[in-house]
Amino acid sequence: MTLAQRMKTLAPRLVGANNEGVLAIIIVVLIIVMSLLSPSFFTVHTLFSIVRSALVPSILAIAVLLVIISGGIDVSFAAIAIFAAYTTVHLAQQGQFDPGIIGILLFACAIGAVLGFVNGAVIARFRLPTLIVTLATQGIFRGILLVYIGSRYIAQLPDSMAGLSTANLIAIDSSRSYLPLLVVPVAVIVLIVAWMLRRTMFGRGIYAIGGDTEAARRAGFPVVRFQIILYMMVGAIAAIGGLIHVILNRNANPQDIVGTELDVIAAVVLGGASIFGGRGSVLGTVLGVVLVQLINNSLLLMGVPTAWQRAAVGLLLVVGVGIQALSARRASRRTFVLDTVEA
Amino acid sequence: MPIRTHQSAAGQVNSRIDNTVRTWISHIHVDRGIGRMLVLLVIAFALFAVLNPRVFMNPLNLQNIMVSAPEVGILAIAMTLAMLTGGIDLSLVSIANLTAITISTMYTGLVGSDPALAESLGGVIVLVGIAVGVLAGLINAFLISTVGITPILATLATMQIFNGIAIVWTGGKTLYGAPQALSAVGKSTVAGVPVLFLLFLVVAIVIGLLVNRTPFGRKTQLQGANPTAARFSGIRSASVLYGTYLTTGLLGGLAGVLFVTRNPTASADYGTSYVLLVIVIAVLGGTNPMGGFATVTGVVLATLVLQVVQSGFNAIRLSSYEYSIAQGVILIGVMVFDQLRFRRRTRYVASTQTRNIASMSNVGEDADETPDTAGADSVETK
Amino acid sequence: MAERNEAPVLEVRGIVKVFGGVTALDGVSMSLLPGRVHCLAGENGSGKSTLIKIISGVDTPDAGEILIDGEAMSGMTPARALRAGIQVIYQDFSLFPNLTVAENIVLPAAIASRKKLFNRARSRPGAQRIVDELGLTLDLDADVEKLSVADRQLTAICRALVQDARILFMDEPTTALTHSEVARLFGLVRKLQERGVAIVFVSHKLDEVLEVSHDITVLRSGQLVASGDAREYSVQSLTVAMTGRDVDTTRLVNDLGKRGAPLLEVSRLDLPGAFTDISFDLAPGEILGITGLLGSGRGEIVEALFGLLKPESGTVTVNGAALRPGSIRSSISAGIGYVPEDRLTQGLFLEKSIADNIIAGSLDSHARGKVVLSQKRIAETISTLFTRLRIKAPSVAAPVRSLSGGNAQRVVLAKWLATKPKILILNGPTVGVDVGSKNEILTILRDAAREGMGVIMISDDVPELVSICNRVLIVRRGSLVAEFDSEQIEAQRIQEVMAA
Repeated sequence: MTLAQRMKTLAPRLVGANNEGVLAIIIVVLIIVMSLLSPSFFTVHTLFSIVRSALVPSILAIAVLLVIISGGIDVSFAAIAIFAAYTTVHLAQQGQFDPGIIGILLFACAIGAVLGFVNGAVIARFRLPTLIVTLATQGIFRGILLVYIGSRYIAQLPDSMAGLSTANLIAIDSSRSYLPLLVVPVAVIVLIVAWMLRRTMFGRGIYAIGGDTEAARRAGFPVVRFQIILYMMVGAIAAIGGLIHVILNRNANPQDIVGTELDVIAAVVLGGASIFGGRGSVLGTVLGVVLVQLINNSLLLMGVPTAWQRAAVGLLLVVGVGIQALSARRASRRTFVLDTVEA
Repeated sequence: MPIRTHQSAAGQVNSRIDNTVRTWISHIHVDRGIGRMLVLLVIAFALFAVLNPRVFMNPLNLQNIMVSAPEVGILAIAMTLAMLTGGIDLSLVSIANLTAITISTMYTGLVGSDPALAESLGGVIVLVGIAVGVLAGLINAFLISTVGITPILATLATMQIFNGIAIVWTGGKTLYGAPQALSAVGKSTVAGVPVLFLLFLVVAIVIGLLVNRTPFGRKTQLQGANPTAARFSGIRSASVLYGTYLTTGLLGGLAGVLFVTRNPTASADYGTSYVLLVIVIAVLGGTNPMGGFATVTGVVLATLVLQVVQSGFNAIRLSSYEYSIAQGVILIGVMVFDQLRFRRRTRYVASTQTRNIASMSNVGEDADETPDTAGADSVETK
Repeated sequence: MAERNEAPVLEVRGIVKVFGGVTALDGVSMSLLPGRVHCLAGENGSGKSTLIKIISGVDTPDAGEILIDGEAMSGMTPARALRAGIQVIYQDFSLFPNLTVAENIVLPAAIASRKKLFNRARSRPGAQRIVDELGLTLDLDADVEKLSVADRQLTAICRALVQDARILFMDEPTTALTHSEVARLFGLVRKLQERGVAIVFVSHKLDEVLEVSHDITVLRSGQLVASGDAREYSVQSLTVAMTGRDVDTTRLVNDLGKRGAPLLEVSRLDLPGAFTDISFDLAPGEILGITGLLGSGRGEIVEALFGLLKPESGTVTVNGAALRPGSIRSSISAGIGYVPEDRLTQGLFLEKSIADNIIAGSLDSHARGKVVLSQKRIAETISTLFTRLRIKAPSVAAPVRSLSGGNAQRVVLAKWLATKPKILILNGPTVGVDVGSKNEILTILRDAAREGMGVIMISDDVPELVSICNRVLIVRRGSLVAEFDSEQIEAQRIQEVMAA
C-alpha cells in the first residue's frame, strides 16, 4: 500500500463522523499559533481558566445536543437552568435548611425534569414545531420564576453549595491556577451522556428519530415516549448546568444564563451536530465549546477588544456551516448521477 | 357554494365559477390569522378598558401603543416574509441596530463640524442607514441561496456578526444623537394618529400587496409551500430567496430608523427581547413557520394584540414578566387550538367522504367543506 | 409445501381507511396462509401500501379487524406487529439514513426483543450473518445515506429477514435490483416459504408476480375486486382486474396531415449512465409515446428535455432555436411544459388552493408589466381552465389536497395549459387516476394536440399509448430501440419489444 492510499483510508477515520478531527486540528493549530504569539498563553493558568469557563457551556451544550440529534431545537434550556437552580437556592434559603449537595442536586433535577416534561408533552403530543414551542415555554418559565418565585439576587448560598464554590481539584498557588472540583461532575455527565447515546436503545432511538421519524415509528420505537423522556432529561441536565453556574458564581441571580441560548446552539453546531437532526456527538460538542472558549481567551490575550468575540464566533459559524453546506451540495450531485447509473 | 357539476348547464357553471373566483380574488386568504386576532384584539381591549379604564383608555396611553407598535410590527412583517419561504431571520434586530448606529454615528460626526449641514443631510443619512440594512440582507441572501446554509443557521451566524460589529463600533456604549427632523416626525400626529403608526400601516399595505398581488410574492408563497414543485414550475429559488432576504434587510433597516426616531439613541443591545418576540407575533398572526402561508393583516393585528396586552398589563400593574408568561401561554394556546381543530376537521372531511363513496355520488364534491370557508363562500356568492 | 386447508396465520376483515378526502381502503379482506406467497396487485393508489401500513400497525384503520392466528388484535402498534412476526420491506425502504447498514439491520430486532442496551460491535455479527446468508456484498459500516438505491433496498431486505418473520410483506422489492439479484431474492423467497413463512409480494411487474405467487388479491380504488389462485390468472386477465376494463385498443388518433417543419428536434442526446445517442423529433399536433421498462432511461430522457438533467452532449431545438442544456427556465420559455411522474411532491402545492396551483407556472404572463398581477386576467384563466378540464371541486379556493387523483392531475394539466405551451411532456399522466378521469384526460390531450400543441407522453400503459399516440418510441437500456409508426402501432408488438 502506498502512502497516498494509506492516507486515503486513514483520512476519514481521523476526520471522524462529525468532523471532530478537523475541529481538534483547528484547536491544536490555534494553540500553537497562540503560544508562538504570546508567551503567557501556553500555561497551566490559561488551561485552567479555559476549562473553568467551559464548564457551564459544556453542560448546556450537551443538553441542546440531545434535542438537536432528535431533530428539534430548544431555546428554553437556559430558562429551565436558571429556574431550577434559583428556585432550589431560594427554597433552601427560605426554609433555613440545607439538604446537602445531593438533596439540592436531586431537587433541582426534579424541577428541570418537570419543566422539560411540559416541553416534551406539548411537542410530542401535538406535533408542534420545537423552536416555536420552546420559545413560548422559555417566556413562561422565565416569567413564572421572576414573578412568583423571586427576582432578587441571592448573595448567600447554602453552605453545602458555598463549600463547593471554593473547592479545587488542583490548586497551584504559585501561579494562582485553580481547577475547580466541579470538573468532576461535568466530566461524569459528559461521559454518561456519551455512553447513553452510543450504547443504549434510547440513545440509538434518538438518532433514529432524528434521522427519520416515520421510519423510527415503523421500526417500533415508541417515538412519543422517547421524545417526552428526552425533553425531561434535557431539563434535568440543564438544571445541573444552572446549579454549576450558581456555584461557580457564588451567587444566584435569576437574570443569569437566559440570553446565551443562541451562543450555546452555535457551539453545538460548530461541534458538527446537524440542525436537521440525526447527527452529532458528545466529543464534537465539547470540542465546539472548547474552541469558542479558546477563541475568546486568545482574543483577550492578543489585546483584541472583547467586543470582537461575538463577531468572531459568528464568522467561525459561517465558515464551518458554509463548508458543510457546499460539500453537501456537491455530494448530492454525485449521488444523483450514481442513482441514474444504478437504475 | 359547491359546484354541482353534473346538474348545471354549462353557462350556469360558468357564471358560478366566475363568482367563486371573484370571491376568492376579493379576499385572498381570509385565513386563520385574521379573524382570530381580531377577536383577541377586541377581547384584550375590552378587558383592560374594563379593568382600568382611567389609565388604559387615557389618550396618551393609546397613543403610546400606536407609537411603540411600528418598530416591532415592521420587524414582525420582515420575519413573516422570511417564514413565508420556509426560512427565518434571526438577524433582524441586529440589522436594525446597525442601521440605527450608522445613522447616529454619521449625524454626530457631522454635527461636530457643521450642525446645519448635518440637519440638511438628514435624508441622506437615513438612506445610508437603510442601505446598510439592505447590504446586511444581501449577505444573508448570499449565505442562504448561493452557499446553501439553512436560514436558521445563516442568520444565527450573521446575527452574531452584525451584533459583534455593532458592539465593536459603539464600544458597548449607547450613542446619542440623531437628525432632529426624525425626532420631529416621531412626535407628530395626523388627526391624533401618530405618523409612525401611519408609516407602519403603509409598510404593511405595501408588503401585503407585494405578497399577494405580484408575481414575486406569489412565487415566494409557492416556494415556501413546496420547493420541489416550485422548481418543477419554473420558479427560480435564487430570485425568490434574494428578493426575500433583501426585503427583510430593508425592513430591518427601516425598523432601525424607527429606533432612532423614537429615541435619538442607538446601541448594540437595544431590543434584544425583540428577536423572539417578532417570531411569536408572526406565528400568532397566522404565519406557518414551515412556509407557504402568511397574512400581513394577521401579523399587524397580532402586533396590536401584543402591544395592547403589554400596555394593559402596565395599566393593571402587572410586570413585564407576567407579560412574557401571557405571551407564551397565548402562543401555545393558539397552536394547540389550531392543531386540535385541524384534527377534528380532517375527521369531519373523512366522514363526509365515506358517505359520498357509499352513496356512489361524485367524488370530491364536499371534500373540503370546512365550516369557515363554506360559510364565507355561501354568503359571498349569493 | 403447506396444505391449502391450513388455518390462516393472518386475516384482515372489512378494513376501511380514509385519508383527508380520499377513501384509501373500502372494506378490504384478505387472508394469508403459512408457506404460501400471496400477491397483492393493484395500480398505484389502489390502496396496497395503505393496507400494509395498517397490518404493520403504522396506520390505524377506521373500521375492520386484524386477526393473527385467529385472534383479533386491537390497537395494533408497530412494535406489537413486529413481535407477532410481521415484517415489512417498505417501498421507500424506511431506513435511517444517518445510521450504519449494520445498525439499520439489527435495530428493529433489538426493539422487538425489548432490549435496553445496544452494542454496535456485538450486534455486527448478526448483521454479517444475514448478509452472508443472502450472498450479498454490503459495507456494514457505511452510512445508509451514502449507499446506492440498490444497496439500500438490499439493506431493507436484510433488515426484514434478520428477525424470524412469520409474515413478510415485500412492497415492490425488486425495483432497483439487477436480474441476478432478483433471482437470488426469489430463491430466498422460496426458502422462506418452505420454512412456513407467509409472504405477501407487491409488484407491478406482473410476469414477476405470477412467477412466484400462489394466491392473488387484486385491489382497485381501495376495493377488493378479485382474489383466488394465481394459476387462474395471466398477465392479461390480471391487467383487466387491476384496471377494471378490457384491454382497449381502439385507436382514436388525430390526423396530422402533411408533415411540415418539426416543432422539436432532439439530436444525439447523451448522458452517461442514463441514456445514449437519443435522436427524435416531434411535429406540431403530434402525440408521441415513449415507453420502456422502469429504469430503461425513458424518464431521464424527458427530464433532460425539461432541463431537470443536464445532458453531456447533444442538442435540443424548439422551432429551430437551441435550448440551454440543464436549464428549466430555458425549456419553459421555449414553450415546454412537464407534468411530472410524482405529482404529489413535484407537480402540486397540496396545501395551496386550486386557483393558486393553476396559475403557479404562468404568474409572469398574468402581470401587467411583470409587476402587478392582473386579477381579471387571472380570474379568466382560472375559470376557463376550471371549466374546460371539468375539475370537480367545491370551489377554486379549495386546497388541492382535498382532490381525488384524477382531479389533482387535471390541476397539474391546467397549470401547464395556462402557460400556453407549444410542447407538453407528460410522465405517467394517468397513473393513479380512475378510469373515467383517465379517458377525459386523454380527450383533453387530443383536443390540445388538435390545436397544434406537440405532446410527448411516457407511459407503462401500452393500451393507452395505442389509443392516443401517432407514434411510439421504445427505450431499452438507455437507447431508442424501436419506433412504431401510426400504421404499425399494436399493443402486442410493443409489449414484445419492450420486454425483449
